[in-house]
Amino acid sequence: MKRVREENDGGERPAKVRRVPAKDRLSKLSDELLVRILSFVPVPTLLLCQQVSRKFSRLAIDSELWKAAYYKRFVLPRATRIPGIKDTSASDHLRYSSQLSKWLDDGHLLRKGICTNWKQQYRLRHNWSQGQCAVSEIVVAERPPDPPLLVMMSSSTIFTADSLSGLRAFDSKNERELIASTPLLRPEATNPQLPTSMAIDTSERDTGHERVVIGFEDGSFTIYTLRREDQSFRTLFEHAPSTNGALSAVAFSSPYLLTMTEYHLLSMYVFLEDTQLDDTLGPPNLLYSLQSHTVWPPVSLSIRTTTTSMTASIAYALPTYLSGWTVGIQEMRLTHDGELLESRLATAADQHSLTLSGQRSMSSPTTRSSSPFPGGSREPALADNPSNAKPTSMSYSHPYLLVAHPDNTLSLYLVKSTASSLSISAGTRLWGHTSSISGAHVGVRGKAVSVSRLGDELRVWDLEGGMASSTNRRRSKNGELSVRIQPSKPNNNSNEVQDDGRVRRFDLRFALDQGFDDSTVSRGWVGFDEQNVIVLREKREGSQALVVYDFA
Amino acid sequence: MSAPTEEKKTVVLTTSDNADLTVEREVAERSILIKNLLEDLGGDNAEAIPIPNVNEAVMKKVLEWCEHHRKDPPASQDDDSDSRKKSTDIDEWDQKFMQVDQEMLFEIILAANYLDIKALLDVGCKTVANMIKGKSPDEIRKTFNIQNDFTPEEEDQIRRENEWAEDR
Repeated sequence: MKRVREENDGGERPAKVRRVPAKDRLSKLSDELLVRILSFVPVPTLLLCQQVSRKFSRLAIDSELWKAAYYKRFVLPRATRIPGIKDTSASDHLRYSSQLSKWLDDGHLLRKGICTNWKQQYRLRHNWSQGQCAVSEIVVAERPPDPPLLVMMSSSTIFTADSLSGLRAFDSKNERELIASTPLLRPEATNPQLPTSMAIDTSERDTGHERVVIGFEDGSFTIYTLRREDQSFRTLFEHAPSTNGALSAVAFSSPYLLTMTEYHLLSMYVFLEDTQLDDTLGPPNLLYSLQSHTVWPPVSLSIRTTTTSMTASIAYALPTYLSGWTVGIQEMRLTHDGELLESRLATAADQHSLTLSGQRSMSSPTTRSSSPFPGGSREPALADNPSNAKPTSMSYSHPYLLVAHPDNTLSLYLVKSTASSLSISAGTRLWGHTSSISGAHVGVRGKAVSVSRLGDELRVWDLEGGMASSTNRRRSKNGELSVRIQPSKPNNNSNEVQDDGRVRRFDLRFALDQGFDDSTVSRGWVGFDEQNVIVLREKREGSQALVVYDFA
Repeated sequence: MSAPTEEKKTVVLTTSDNADLTVEREVAERSILIKNLLEDLGGDNAEAIPIPNVNEAVMKKVLEWCEHHRKDPPASQDDDSDSRKKSTDIDEWDQKFMQVDQEMLFEIILAANYLDIKALLDVGCKTVANMIKGKSPDEIRKTFNIQNDFTPEEEDQIRRENEWAEDR
């Protein structure tokens, strides 16, 4: 009554009442202007804006906003951390602009153009940096095969090889489904071949078919191609067994193939790619072969190619008198016609120690000899010396050489390879693990993962720029160089008890602890791609499982 | 171009509510739209330039900004340039200048957009961004009278989807 009247002649009431309904002027602005406004808000606010209204929800996921945010957070800081890039002509280079900026190796995201979901990419990198992931498992073997299961991972596929189940490919995304499998049998043989090494083709061919090479105990190797469309493997080439012994390491970058036997005979092949069809490959030419007397396992082979030459590298462990183990690297550069341009060696050995082979260090390691000899440039080791313990695993992804030791530490070396010299920087010891490390793998961008032998600790490292950068040294001092992987926040159903009474959890520690003890964990193989980290686990009863940590 | 006689040149702008504003050409040319118009007309132009999208009150405010920033270096043509995005810092004079009610704030943004005055447009957008920053979705809606057209379920779903970015 009285109230109603008051509202009717609201003109007398305070301004508060008169302003209702106030106009929503912000939402009336054009999309273009709103996106411009949102380009000034930080990412957490941007996400909150999605909850404001439908209109804001749509605008706040605008690709350009996330692209800029991605650049600002993940590309720009890296650019300034890489020595050399920053110094070149001021900051003009590093301004974000969709056409002009340097995207470093994230350029492939740009080339995909509008297909790139920038918010998703941002989230992926964010989760990497925070160590957030979901954990899932693929059981790959009921009993341990001998030799042990081999695992590798490419952009979207996990390949496994063992004598019992043959070569298999799993989808590393989605449901981790088995894509294809093939037994490792020679047509006329009855016993399966024993795979001892594996490599994925790292060349950037665009056929859509991934290639894998598997080296066997009898010295033979076979190249397969995965045909996703008909879910099968096809054999491209089979190389006959050899008396030189089991292949302990292989590397493959079409058309080049590098193999190393257990007795350290290195062979380099080139395939003559005559057809575009992924049918078969003709027999390769043996470009080069060499016997090494200084290479000790573990060994990491890799191939890099440029338009004019290809470089084959062998990273290996090297025992020294008095001071324990260090690392060495041998690099061979060849023309595409197979002519050896140079072969050179470098070690990270301390200046005063001699390697077991007794060779003195040389000032110039460059040699054109076809039987390269050990020695090489050595740089004095600094404080924070790398561990002298025998390495348990080695991973080389130029320029990063990452070595795992049983004494809870990793050593990082930077390999410098220029036209005139090859050298390995003084190693830096990386602390962080609290138990023995069994495996480590370094990939592009200096992103590395490592796993402890007991399997309860998985760490992701960002080693971009190495320890030469002051930023990284500071981060190292503050213990910020690596992040321990944590499972994502427990969901409501994460502790749900299933019918058979088994507690099913996504808790990482639980997943890792399940059935593992010191005596049975023989292989802590790790590998990763953009989205996942995988670890090979061996359980007490001997079954093996791949644990997949999904950061997406 | 830089002859002293030219500096004093004035132009007349006719606003949407038919007010004629006389302003120095250098000041008016902070607006790329007006600058291009004058160049197209060429030579001495005594005619008033109609600005049909901006009223007198807003135009006066915009010209006040142009007057203060008349000597600023020309705006970067690179729309994506990082310097633009560097921060939501606004210089002191501009902050005071932007202490207006929401109606005027959005009118200035619209005018700056129409008149193509990038620096002013960015000041306006940064001002709005600062009003959004650090607020909850509900506070943002209250600040700008935005109607929540989500169902509670939808809102909750979006919140859960974006949990990954929360500080832990």
